[in-house]
Amino acid sequence: MSVIIHPRPSPVAAAMYTLRDLDADTIVLHGPSGCCFRPARLLERDGVRVVTSALLEDDLVFGSEGKLSKVLKRVDEMFSPRLIGLVGSCASMIIGEDLKKAARDAGLLNKTICCNVHGGSGDNTVGAIAVLREAREMGLISDEEFNRQRFMLERATRLERERGTARSEYIENWPGDRPKEIAKKLIETFASGGEVAFVLNAKKETSFLYADLALALASARRRFGGSLRVLANLDPKVGLPRVRSYSVKILEEFEAEGVVVDSITGGIDEYPISGERAKELLVRDPPDLAVISGIPHAVAVEGVMKTVAVSVGSRAVSNLKSLGYDYVVAERDAHQVSLGEKKQIRRSILGQALREEAAH
Amino acid sequence: MKSVAFYGKGGIGKSTLASNIAAALGADGLKILLVGCDPKADSTINLLGRRPPQLLELMKQEKRPDPSKFIEEGFAGVACVEIGGPEPGVGCAGRGLIVGIRYLTEVFDIRRFDLVIFDVPADIVCGGLAVVMKEGYSESALIVTSDEFMSLYAANNLCRGFRSLGARVGGVLYNRSTTGGRRYVGRFSSRVGVPILGDVPLSEELIRADRARKTIIESSPASNLSGIISSVAKSVYLNSFSCVPNWIQIEELEEMCAGDS
Ligand SMILES: Nc1ncnc2c1ncn2[C@@H]1O[C@H](COP(=O)(O)OP(=O)(O)OP(=O)(O)O)[C@@H](O)[C@H]1O
Ligand SMILES: [Mg+2]
Repeated sequence: MSVIIHPRPSPVAAAMYTLRDLDADTIVLHGPSGCCFRPARLLERDGVRVVTSALLEDDLVFGSEGKLSKVLKRVDEMFSPRLIGLVGSCASMIIGEDLKKAARDAGLLNKTICCNVHGGSGDNTVGAIAVLREAREMGLISDEEFNRQRFMLERATRLERERGTARSEYIENWPGDRPKEIAKKLIETFASGGEVAFVLNAKKETSFLYADLALALASARRRFGGSLRVLANLDPKVGLPRVRSYSVKILEEFEAEGVVVDSITGGIDEYPISGERAKELLVRDPPDLAVISGIPHAVAVEGVMKTVAVSVGSRAVSNLKSLGYDYVVAERDAHQVSLGEKKQIRRSILGQALREEAAH
Repeated sequence: MKSVAFYGKGGIGKSTLASNIAAALGADGLKILLVGCDPKADSTINLLGRRPPQLLELMKQEKRPDPSKFIEEGFAGVACVEIGGPEPGVGCAGRGLIVGIRYLTEVFDIRRFDLVIFDVPADIVCGGLAVVMKEGYSESALIVTSDEFMSLYAANNLCRGFRSLGARVGGVLYNRSTTGGRRYVGRFSSRVGVPILGDVPLSEELIRADRARKTIIESSPASNLSGIISSVAKSVYLNSFSCVPNWIQIEELEEMCAGDS
């Protein structure tokens, strides 16, 4: 087995995102104050309070369950959280800190989801599954929901290994194709009476960014002719309440903007599976150009039809190009853009390029 | 300056030999530093008559404590330091040792001593406990063993660890020696390529001195045992041999010890 040496997402960060999905209002990271700094700051924009136990060398040497317990109590006094998420870090887990004991000592065990993961626990999905397992033990989610999510996460992990950025030892960064050129291609396709299929196959809140393409494509189609087919993983009946509400919100905005969804391919947290459904539908009736956004590598239609893949991160984009998608656009940082208490569709780079090109 | 680190199976007599050897050499007028590296901080009790303040505890309180606060002079002028560490069952003693030794050698010039002795807890169970050898604070290790199988087993494991670290061993100290057992330790020593620097017999006297929290050198300087320990101490101090040791496959070790029982 070859080692993947480029930076990878962390199980600790994945655990924190999952705690947010479970509507934990405060997350305590038992670790040094800089651990997972960026995800922590992003989650704060989503209305979750994130604090750390600010471990220092002394705490590592002497142990710090007592300190953690005090931090938990303090957090309870300061923020009166309904549900606390408590996650480990490399430092605290390696010295064998007992998160549950600290929560019990603080008298807060009944409202604290404890998650024993650290940076070296494995795939990032390990962190998400650990949180969900704890949530099930606490009766916060059902067995069915746990099993469904675990299945999805395991599929996602496999997808990353087979077709994602975990598939090779090192992937170079690459900025992607120029959005203006792709916008031109899209307009040409519409203007010549062709069909563009738009596939939204995004993960949770990042859908608020990728969904913008549907708005831009629909308005370009109205202006230049041709046809547009929309496939989206926006089933409002699947997933945790928070995640379902995203689908509802996006579908409402689609309706207001005159975007018709032709096929719902699955739920917003089902991208490994919904990607396969989207593939089936596209292959059965190939469009002239398929625009696949979010997690395009879950929709394996490269080589079968002309494709535009839209994703985030210069490494993911580089990977998509080498998989064989014809054009690849790097979007704005989807988490950065779409986290925030007021959830609404956000302007995307390709969407804007298309609007500008159409205005010429 | 010379430096040695005592390693060996738990409870085999590392701290007893380290403090007695320090006392004997101190009594001969040499400048000795004994650094206790065990979180239970019991290496220097018999030289000081009590437990001294522990370096890591002080570092926790005041970050950069002055050496005068954690270096105390014990019997025969031996300078004593206890690194200390966490309570049993929490934190990370290995990390503590790394942090403590680095600080000690940063703020205190240990080269001013004739001999520095590090008394390290039991086997090298983690990277931290190997720091004394790995980062070169001690020139060589001494392996304390008795003639019991489990003690030789631990000694062999240590040799294996030292071999993989590329660390040097200066000799074997044969503790609780018995007339019938010497051949086992002798075979072990020749197989791993490390000489026996001396042996200290199993002795009631040592245990009594221990109860009085004294070294035998202090409590009965004229005793036979004091003489034996003093001569072992001299061999330790004068020893100039060291090598990266060999180690033995477990089957061979078993055979070696089962031989003529
Ligand atoms: N030669 C000996 N004869 C009799 N008793 C001995 C001898 N050497 C050591 N002891 C006794 O064995 C006990 C353990 O010794 P000591 O604490 O020195 O071992 P250690 O190797 O330092 O242990 P640890 O691994 O816990 O640090 C003590 O009570 C000590 O007095
Ligand atoms: Mg000891």
